[in-house]
Amino acid sequence: MRVALFVTCLVDLMRPRIGFAAIELLEAAGCDVIVPAGQTCCGQPAWNSGDRAAAAALAKKVIDEFAGSAYVVVPSGSCADQIRNEYPVILADEPEWQARAVELASRVYELTDFLVNVAHIGTLPGNFSGSVTYHDSCTGLRGMGIKEQPRALLAKMSGVELKEMAAAEECCGFGGTFSVKFGEISAAIAAKKCGNARASGADAIVGGDLGCLLNIEGKLRRLGDETTQVMHITEVLTAKN
Amino acid sequence: MNSREDILGRVRARLGRNTENAVTARKDIAAALAERVERPRPAVPTDTAGLVARFEEKSAAQSSSLDRVAALADAPAAVARYLAGMNLPLRAVIWPSLAGLDWRAAGIEVAPRGAVDSDLVGITGCFCAIAETGTLMACSAPDHPATVSLLPETHIALVPMSRIVPGMEDAWNLARAELGSLPRAVNFISGPSRTGDIEQTIVLGAHGPYRVHLVIVEEA
Amino acid sequence: MESRSRHFKANAAASLANPVLQANLKTAKGKFVDKRAIAIKEIDDFEGSREAAKNIRNRVLENLDLWLEKFEESATARGATVLWAKDGEEICRHVAEIGQRHGVRKAAKSKSMLSEEANLNLALTAAGIRPIETDLGEYILQINDNEPPSHIIAPVVHKSLDEIADLFHQVHKTPRKTEIPALTREAREVLREHFLTADMGISGGNFLVAETGSVALVTNEGNGRMVTTLPRVHVVITGIEKVVPTLEDLTLLLRLLPRSATGQSISNYVSVLTGVKTPEELDGPEHLYFILVDNGRADVVGTEFQDMLRCIRCGACMNHCPVYQTIGGHAYGWVYPGPMGSVLTPLYTGLENAIDLPQAATLCNQCGVVCPVMIPLPELLRRLREKQVEKHLRPWFERFALKIWARVAASPPLYALGSWLGVRYLKWLAGGRDRIAVLSVAPEWTLGRDFPAPEGKTFRELYAKRRGVR
Repeated sequence: MRVALFVTCLVDLMRPRIGFAAIELLEAAGCDVIVPAGQTCCGQPAWNSGDRAAAAALAKKVIDEFAGSAYVVVPSGSCADQIRNEYPVILADEPEWQARAVELASRVYELTDFLVNVAHIGTLPGNFSGSVTYHDSCTGLRGMGIKEQPRALLAKMSGVELKEMAAAEECCGFGGTFSVKFGEISAAIAAKKCGNARASGADAIVGGDLGCLLNIEGKLRRLGDETTQVMHITEVLTAKN
Repeated sequence: MNSREDILGRVRARLGRNTENAVTARKDIAAALAERVERPRPAVPTDTAGLVARFEEKSAAQSSSLDRVAALADAPAAVARYLAGMNLPLRAVIWPSLAGLDWRAAGIEVAPRGAVDSDLVGITGCFCAIAETGTLMACSAPDHPATVSLLPETHIALVPMSRIVPGMEDAWNLARAELGSLPRAVNFISGPSRTGDIEQTIVLGAHGPYRVHLVIVEEA
Repeated sequence: MESRSRHFKANAAASLANPVLQANLKTAKGKFVDKRAIAIKEIDDFEGSREAAKNIRNRVLENLDLWLEKFEESATARGATVLWAKDGEEICRHVAEIGQRHGVRKAAKSKSMLSEEANLNLALTAAGIRPIETDLGEYILQINDNEPPSHIIAPVVHKSLDEIADLFHQVHKTPRKTEIPALTREAREVLREHFLTADMGISGGNFLVAETGSVALVTNEGNGRMVTTLPRVHVVITGIEKVVPTLEDLTLLLRLLPRSATGQSISNYVSVLTGVKTPEELDGPEHLYFILVDNGRADVVGTEFQDMLRCIRCGACMNHCPVYQTIGGHAYGWVYPGPMGSVLTPLYTGLENAIDLPQAATLCNQCGVVCPVMIPLPELLRRLREKQVEKHLRPWFERFALKIWARVAASPPLYALGSWLGVRYLKWLAGGRDRIAVLSVAPEWTLGRDFPAPEGKTFRELYAKRRGVR
């Protein structure tokens, strides 16, 4: 199975190890992974900020770059949603591009969804040991239907104990540009998420979207919590202790 | 231009209204008004026993109290028992349509008229009752004044068992069949009045009745 | 109501710093969200019901002009007078005229958000008519110097028992009560007198039924029945978008509205009122007026925002909104808060008067999934953001930052260079630590939390190195 990885700009800039972990997982599932070189950003910041032209330009770029791949896999629910669900809307005024966007949408998957439902990954390469609680990122959950998939993967790891937090499906307050436009409100919402996560008693907070995780980690540390880990799901699934 | 023409004019313009599509539109309006489409509805028992049980369950959940009598003639005595048990006076304003029952034999002094502020107890019947939500449907009329179920602190309603229907759709069907056009006021009543405005804590007895007592009449 | 939406950020900051409000919001959230979840299960086919409700509302909006005419025809045939108001000022003029015509000295009001839009109480007072709010929450606001509501269903969700107890004690000059039932009883006694002596009842209208010319009122307290039964004049003020075709359509919407709003299977009272009393009837108004209001609604028809007119005012969106849950309703600055308010306020009061509202959302869609009429709220907020960009309403540094990002992201070599520099700058800002305490390029982030440091090299450069490509 040939898979093209859409790394996402956040992973590229902030946590390359998530990108490498994603590749390791896909290869463990028997895939050949390519990483198209010119990729940059899916365009979500532009789209959510109301800059349709910029969003459209980036959409076209991504469509071109990933035209040849059988599958496009993304370690982020919100970026995958942007490509699959928003590109056809953004390009609605250009029928040919829209058709290509719809075609690309049929090949785009969020990583955990792909591993569980397409690649049917068997044994996971990691041996993480400890308790985790899972934060359901909004767009991943409500846009891409990501809920059971990460939990199914975590269940495969004998050393992992899943402790669900209260209100796991509630927003963490990141919201992309919202976090830097309305920082106080964003941090207050994050505080609630941190409170719920910590109350679960888990060693680590895990999620599928790096934006959420940076927000949660930042708030945890400002609150004085130096012990609770914050990890992307790929990191847990590939962790070697 | 008056406001009506201004507002409608702008709506028409924004909808791209022209004489042609007005014709098609009017057809859709007529169709919408005539059709009685089956819409998603929660499952409610349709057998009598199930219906009544559901009605009682839902009414109780809304803090109405319940009683049952066999015949309409038994109702006054049941009401008298209830009032005595609640330490309420045996005096009530009633729907004029209920004046024919033997209240005097039960020891209740009744006034068949609209209610006034000093009335403490109001006794009504109902047009029908809805099992799905434990709701009474009361239709206003000269012999069914709306104030009787509104002003007094205690509202007692006689509910004929045969008039308990599954859902509001069924209630409207009955109304269409039996009344033709709607009365001035159709009031759907589900238990005592309440408010949750202070700290989201529900308190019974806001401006309407504090308590609602339902007497289901089996043979009616 | 005067819009204070321009002061959103400052108001939000004040809300965040208000411990009483924060405690009340926490309690309210638990009640509204949990109860709704239980009540929705009773419906069996919630998604199917939402779909049907959406279609009912769309069917009317698509031919709104003709449906309004149909309603007018049906209502007039039953003895009601149908008036039209372009804006809040005209609402007030109509009501004052009606009051004058019938010698009205006192008007008892049950809930009407439109009367809030129009500042009706002020106008009534100026016209020599004393307005009395009878919805307990609205009454509390009225006696507190006409404080604005902070939620469309629970107007005093922001107030604590203590605050209300103090208020009653001051205004009613009665001994201070400490229990909620006692306070409710006191309000009942005070307002009873007004119900009995009001010459005119003013209500809103949850729905207008075109088939029968009726107005449907959804209430719990009994005040809605009081003001529409006792006074000799009844005035209904409601928006032109409230029309539904038939009683059966009304029934479906009534299944969704109370459950979505407060978690009740049905509101205590649903009153379907049609026409005036006949001479033989013992109670009911002799005169019935409908004031059908535009105030911005007509101009939304046929636009990319038309979906918003499907709204049935349940409040579920704000109850589930993480932003509303954190800052409450007053920060939004106008009659309607939360997600629906963030769409309506710019549309009805002007885009430039409510710049922050469509921006102050995470687009999480917790609102959209609970909306009983399937309004795509995050998409509407995004379209409002687009409108702001088109009309050059965004601050220059934001436009600049986005332009730079778009330029860089469109060009792989520029992006490679920019990201190479960027991560090293951030790494340097962290000064050896794993986090940045003050993020100079985006200081709002670090107002309340740290910014984790990047690894220091980009994936792209590390991947290229591993592949031996350069």
